Amino acid sequence: MNNRLKVLRAERDWSQADLAHALGVSRQTVNALETGRYDPSLPLAFKIARVFGQPIEAIFTED
Amino acid sequence: MAKGLKSVFLWSAVGLAALIALLFVAAAVVGFFSAEGSIDKDRAIVWVMAAFVTLIMIGAMVAGAAWMRSIDEAAREAHKAAWYWGGSGGMAVGGILLCLATLPQAGAMRIPSWLDGRTDPAAYAATGAFAMMLLMLIGYTVVWAWWWITRMRD
Repeated sequence: MNNRLKVLRAERDWSQADLAHALGVSRQTVNALETGRYDPSLPLAFKIARVFGQPIEAIFTED
Repeated sequence: MAKGLKSVFLWSAVGLAALIALLFVAAAVVGFFSAEGSIDKDRAIVWVMAAFVTLIMIGAMVAGAAWMRSIDEAAREAHKAAWYWGGSGGMAVGGILLCLATLPQAGAMRIPSWLDGRTDPAAYAATGAFAMMLLMLIGYTVVWAWWWITRMRD
């Protein structure tokens, strides 16, 4: 699954640690999400959408 | 370190310290009554140790559950993958040794004991169990590290 996490984070000038703190996960998890090597659970995907104020489908897209 | 994780470590240390203190008290009681001749020391040691290790294992399970709840979902996935694939891989290697050990020809093999040179059946049973656990732990560690390394690269 592809995602726009890195772009959205850069637009807000957040570090991975900032985003990790906002999501309540580790920085390593944010890194794994951004590289597309780990797909989040549905609850975490909703949380990401809430943090960025965008619908899930605007952040995550199928390969 | 996450707050929840700190709490798990703190309470684990407190619990372990309490159990060790309890063990010292139990050892003193056993020593007193065995010196009086009212109880059999060897039998009492086995019962005290059985109670101690049972509490240790229950504590380990409780701490494990609290720790699992304190880490995030990716960390949990890494451990699940490590438990299944690493543990199963280690068990598969141990399974080869286990199958070979059942052959009649294995009776002539000289197997080293890991328990202070003891060669009684209980020592060999413990050696086999330790060996299986060690192989599973190695597999677990390898898969856990692999899981994270492959997800940290850009």
